[in-house]
Amino acid sequence: MKLPASPPPGPFRRSFWRSPIRGPWLTSVFGLVLLVSIPVLFVTGLLSYAAYNPDLSSVNDLTPGKGLLGFYLFSWPTHPVWLYRLNQGVHVTLGLALVSILLFKLWSVLPKLFEWPPLRSPAHALERLSLFLLVGGAVFEFVTGILNIQTWYKFPGSFYPLHFYGAWVFMAGFVVHVALKLPTMIRALRSRSMIGELRTNLARTRPEPPEAGPLVAAAPAEPTISRRGVLAFAGGGAALIALLSVGQSVGGPLRRTALLAPHGQDVSSGPGDFQINQTAASARIRPAETGAAWRLTLRSDSPLGTAPVVLSRAGLLRMEQHTASLPIACVEGWSTDDQAWTGVRLRDLARLAGVPRPSSVLVQSLERGGAFSKAVLSEGQIMNPDSLLALQVNGTDLSPDHGYPARVIVPANPGVHNTKWVASLTFRR
Amino acid sequence: MRRFFRWYGASPLNLLTMLGCFALAGYAAAELLPTNAVGILVWLAGAVIGHDLILVPLYTLADRSAMAVFRHRPPSLPAVPWINHLRVPTALSGMLLLIWFPLIFRLPGHFPVTTTLSLDPYLWHWLAVTGALYLLSAAVLAMRLRARRRGTRKAAARGTKFRRYLPKPWHLGDSADR
Repeated sequence: MKLPASPPPGPFRRSFWRSPIRGPWLTSVFGLVLLVSIPVLFVTGLLSYAAYNPDLSSVNDLTPGKGLLGFYLFSWPTHPVWLYRLNQGVHVTLGLALVSILLFKLWSVLPKLFEWPPLRSPAHALERLSLFLLVGGAVFEFVTGILNIQTWYKFPGSFYPLHFYGAWVFMAGFVVHVALKLPTMIRALRSRSMIGELRTNLARTRPEPPEAGPLVAAAPAEPTISRRGVLAFAGGGAALIALLSVGQSVGGPLRRTALLAPHGQDVSSGPGDFQINQTAASARIRPAETGAAWRLTLRSDSPLGTAPVVLSRAGLLRMEQHTASLPIACVEGWSTDDQAWTGVRLRDLARLAGVPRPSSVLVQSLERGGAFSKAVLSEGQIMNPDSLLALQVNGTDLSPDHGYPARVIVPANPGVHNTKWVASLTFRR
Repeated sequence: MRRFFRWYGASPLNLLTMLGCFALAGYAAAELLPTNAVGILVWLAGAVIGHDLILVPLYTLADRSAMAVFRHRPPSLPAVPWINHLRVPTALSGMLLLIWFPLIFRLPGHFPVTTTLSLDPYLWHWLAVTGALYLLSAAVLAMRLRARRRGTRKAAARGTKFRRYLPKPWHLGDSADR
């Protein structure tokens, strides 16, 4: 089949596009913002993935087929205690704010979707395929992330593999796009002065010169907004989105400013309480299991076959208690201020189990099923003096929703790995 | 080399970059797709189609319709780019809806059970933010109009004339078709 040399009527004709401000300079400004921010999203995303210590145990590994894509994994640190809180706050808030920039960037390059002829050469065909990965991957990543933080799991599978492998597909398209377009972007940014544009009002706004490239309209309409106006529009959108959600990560009195973020409300159970995203009821923890009959079982994988140590809550309370101020930080981006947790150090429990230098511990919850009813913690996480099996928080016994009778709390650990309603700890040598 | 360029359309380095990109994407996709190949491909294509062929035409149409509706009453058109005072709050409110529609429309039904938080406030918060955006935009427009009117009076006293804000086909474009 041979395509006509001249484009059919409609968007394939350059005259269809009338915006007087579309052009390589404007696109490059949006491109530059994304060039700086997308790598921040990618790196914070990879760090969050590393924070689950997927290499430590298959229990932690939600993407067992990662292969080479897990090349960078390292044992997640416990210092500073706000590390995961900051990482996820940045990842989620920046990602939300970039929705505005992304929409403007995509608007600015829309005529490229209707290039004519659609495929000029093998190189052009490959580039367009890579753009499908770039745009499809970008929208896919933003949508899965945004739906996940609202706990509306409508995407086609489990969030972790979708968002993780999807990120690599997106980044493949991103890297090739940067490699191909970086010289164009630099040339376009140099073609006009940013300060000059910021001083140019609507009356003096003129289209970029037609020879600047196919993004410039052949027959531009009269401008209704200046270039500085569009930049303020896009930047204002990003700032508005960020301001209406960042409070859920900052916490304290600012939490209420996060008017549209999932955890922008104070919890209704009263002062001193804090956010959760799994209640005892939703984890189907029965009161009978957490009452006087509850016991903590400490095991070791010792070849000598040491007998398990069984402790009641009263027995745990008789051990040396330690208090640590630590936040809860969720992969979904919300977090709490530091809470005063009181309980028994994990390393003391390891010694009691007969494994004074454990390489890891498997923590199992009373919760049956569920992706995070168990987790494996690393040696560094166990041995940190602030890593606790907490029995109390802020001076009172844990509430059922915060994990009564006992929960794990480890500095800088992702929230879901601070297992609640702990039933047993199995230390490995 | 020149023959390669003529056949391929770019340098061998371009081809190498492309192959690297597709190798990486393919490696990741080989793990991604088996979980739900049809669903994921539908989502990837749906992402592109949903944005480029549905969302953009819709907002463009809305923007042009707004301008067309108001342009049919030229005498009352203010002397400042009023369309942006409609465009900006509408787009910002729309972006917030685009991001937060599951919470605003109370779609994640288990949310109150898992978080102890209520799903009620989000719709009201969104409406309040939208209202505030329109109010702020109207206030800025009123201030600009007043400043302009004062400027026009001064200019009239000096004998110069300010034009109403009506697009003029100063450059090839036909303003009626904007």
